[in-house]
Amino acid sequence: MSLTKNLHPDEKYKAGKLGTQMMLAGTALVAVMGILSLILGAVHGDNFKRFLYAYVTGWMFAVSLSIGMMWLVLLHHLTRSRWSVVVRRIAEAITGAFPVLWIAGLAFILPVLFGYKDLYYWAHPGARENPDLIHKLGWLSPGMFTLRYVVYGAIFIGMSSYFSKKSREQDESGDPKISVTLRRASGPGMILFSLTTVMLAFDIMMSLAPSWYSTIYGVMFWGSSNVGAFAALGLIVLWLQRNGRLVHSVNEEHYHDIGKWMFSFTFFWAYTAFSQFMLQWYGNMPEETNWYKYRMFGDWQWVSIAILVGYWAFPFVFLMSRWTKRIVPSLVFFSVWQLVFHWLDMYWDVMPQYDWTTVTRGATSVNAGPLSGPIALHHVGFSPLDITVWLALVGFFLIGVARGLKGNLIPIKDPVLGLSLAHEQL
Amino acid sequence: METTETPQGETTPPNGNALNGELYGYLAEYDTPGELVEAARKVKDAGYTAFDCYSPFPVHGIDPAMGIKRTILPLVIFGGGFTGAVGGLLLQWYCNAYSWGWNISGKPTWSIPANIPIAYECTILLAVLTSFFGVWAFNKLPQVWHPLFRSDRFTRVTDDGFFIGIEAADKRFDADKTKALLHDAGAISFESIYLDPDPEQKRMPKWIMGIIIASTAFALVPFAIAAKARNSKSSEPHIHIFPDMDFQPKLKSDQASDLFADGRGNRGDITNTVARGWLEDDEVFYHGLEHSDAGDAWTTGWPKTYPASQALPPELSGKPFSVDMRLLERGQNRFNIYCTPCHGYDAHGQGMVPTRLRSEGGNWDARNLVDPVGVVVTMPNGQLFNTISNGFNKMMGYAAQIPAWDRWAIVAYVRALQRAQNASHDDVPAADQGSIK
Repeated sequence: MSLTKNLHPDEKYKAGKLGTQMMLAGTALVAVMGILSLILGAVHGDNFKRFLYAYVTGWMFAVSLSIGMMWLVLLHHLTRSRWSVVVRRIAEAITGAFPVLWIAGLAFILPVLFGYKDLYYWAHPGARENPDLIHKLGWLSPGMFTLRYVVYGAIFIGMSSYFSKKSREQDESGDPKISVTLRRASGPGMILFSLTTVMLAFDIMMSLAPSWYSTIYGVMFWGSSNVGAFAALGLIVLWLQRNGRLVHSVNEEHYHDIGKWMFSFTFFWAYTAFSQFMLQWYGNMPEETNWYKYRMFGDWQWVSIAILVGYWAFPFVFLMSRWTKRIVPSLVFFSVWQLVFHWLDMYWDVMPQYDWTTVTRGATSVNAGPLSGPIALHHVGFSPLDITVWLALVGFFLIGVARGLKGNLIPIKDPVLGLSLAHEQL
Repeated sequence: METTETPQGETTPPNGNALNGELYGYLAEYDTPGELVEAARKVKDAGYTAFDCYSPFPVHGIDPAMGIKRTILPLVIFGGGFTGAVGGLLLQWYCNAYSWGWNISGKPTWSIPANIPIAYECTILLAVLTSFFGVWAFNKLPQVWHPLFRSDRFTRVTDDGFFIGIEAADKRFDADKTKALLHDAGAISFESIYLDPDPEQKRMPKWIMGIIIASTAFALVPFAIAAKARNSKSSEPHIHIFPDMDFQPKLKSDQASDLFADGRGNRGDITNTVARGWLEDDEVFYHGLEHSDAGDAWTTGWPKTYPASQALPPELSGKPFSVDMRLLERGQNRFNIYCTPCHGYDAHGQGMVPTRLRSEGGNWDARNLVDPVGVVVTMPNGQLFNTISNGFNKMMGYAAQIPAWDRWAIVAYVRALQRAQNASHDDVPAADQGSIK
């Protein structure tokens, strides 16, 4: 028995053509699904509103994976983690998708900036007549919104590129001081990360229902992000191993830890989601319960139940066991399962706001904004757009990750790499 | 304990000593955790089962080296957690839904969301208790006595000693072969351990048993008190645990007091005086009454001015009374707060209270204030004001809640509602009459 190991001499830790393959797969997805989505979006005949709602859903899904892995990288340095050294490069590669996703996000940011009114109700002229919103319209205005998008982008892209650049520098020099520098940076980085993540969730997703209130929303989004992010990490590492990379370095001990994180955030997400729900259910104030009204009754209640059972109860009970996280096919099953439900969770957050009920009084019609009017009239329905746009954004995500797969897939000169290689669960 | 040193650093207590009973087993010490694991593997491979490893901290890889199966403790803990969840839900169902239904903000007595937090806490509580006591039980604790405690060297096991102990009870135990095995595995010291012949040693010390019995008995006291209280009657006053908090030297409203001649803590108004600003001598404004030689009558118009008084808001005090938009908006605001629960927003008498009553099988409407043939339409303003102030039939008076100037605003708003609800085609401006014909 030994506490430390050397990197196996035959280990393949260069992605080589795998990066190109992923890049090609991503580009193909973007091209095919993107064009298909644009056609379907135009055919949908609602001025691309459905397209943009699906786009926000898919974009939040894709960016949440990078957000979750940014958190892992920060936590790794903050707590001097050992187990995660061998998968840290993959996590850094996933955070490398931030620039691509930032550019992809302009597809819904720029229309809002240049006067598109059907995505965010606060950009609609009707919002100015709504006494519940009027005091929020300074913050929620196209200019301010775009400005914040730029700030979030700068923070996430800056942070991810700083951490992966420094880490790569260590591959050359082997200087252990770089680990210390990154540890010092990770403390303030974690604070900045938390605030940015929470504000991003408020701005992009929660402001779709601008008259609703919830302070825990951003934390809930972060919890959900990490479920998806750890699932994606496990799958990408596994894909690399199936193609002959990292075969001697990553073993079931590391998968076990990835699975543990996925499990714990599955519960953390449920905990925060219930915290949000219970206070609003108990308080029973119309400005809060309205958001749940459309999710608890009518068509959406089935989606809510599916999320409760599929995103929490089922994986919670099964991921609790040790073997479900250590046996690879089982971990793959739960990773794919949780990724799909993570998307459904984003869908459940975004899409009920799609329907802006038109209340008719005599001959005049009043656009009352999202989540208004009787539930009986509230049919959002399913559209193939929701899937095609999602896949297109997964394509953007893959392009972004592929950019990060250049260079070494393992921090070969990390001072504690040996401890990670010999990592063992007690 | 007296020992003899052997050249290999081996210490063996002389057998036949009166202090020693029969042989318990061998204890061998190893230098590092790594060597301990290797030695354990050799002992396991030699087929021993009644042996154990001792180290100051958990050693990676020791379990497979010793051939120990994974513990079933997690499953037991899961059972404990599950019991906690179900038990917590049952407890709340029994307390809040079955035994003593409790209506909280109109929600059903059995509302799952409200019960989740406590079920969650119960889950954690029972899971944690199960894991805590489960670890004790699976490790056969508490055990205050062990033959290895008789070795001086073994005291270092909590510091830097790594030991393997093989029991003589093992089927493969052989005085020479086992010893050779431990030495071959790299032992740095070796001891034979003998049982203490005194059976008293195996008993739990009396003082520990005493503490356990006493604390268990003490824990039953609250239950005993609760059981007694449930099965007996008492005329004694409450037990006051904090008398200085329960009996403070101050008077609350309506308390008796020996300080004053009338024995009351309340001090009323002094006879024949009125507090500054509270002289309500304007009969029209405060009571809706007009005096005349023929007697008192409800005023049909409006007060002329607001009284100049400190009781009124400064922007109204002494100002002329006018029925304007400000007054109507104020009236609408107050009406929507105080009157709509019964009379409804449109004043048809079907607010939330009658609606709710009807859903429960009752049948009652509040007065329709805008009924064109009802009494309210023809009521003088003063009488309407008086009804708001002092109530009528089931309706209570609102004088204590709504000041007089706001009651007048409500009167004005009710008049506006009556006008609006009974409007005729001629009321529409001439320019628009054609468009709604």
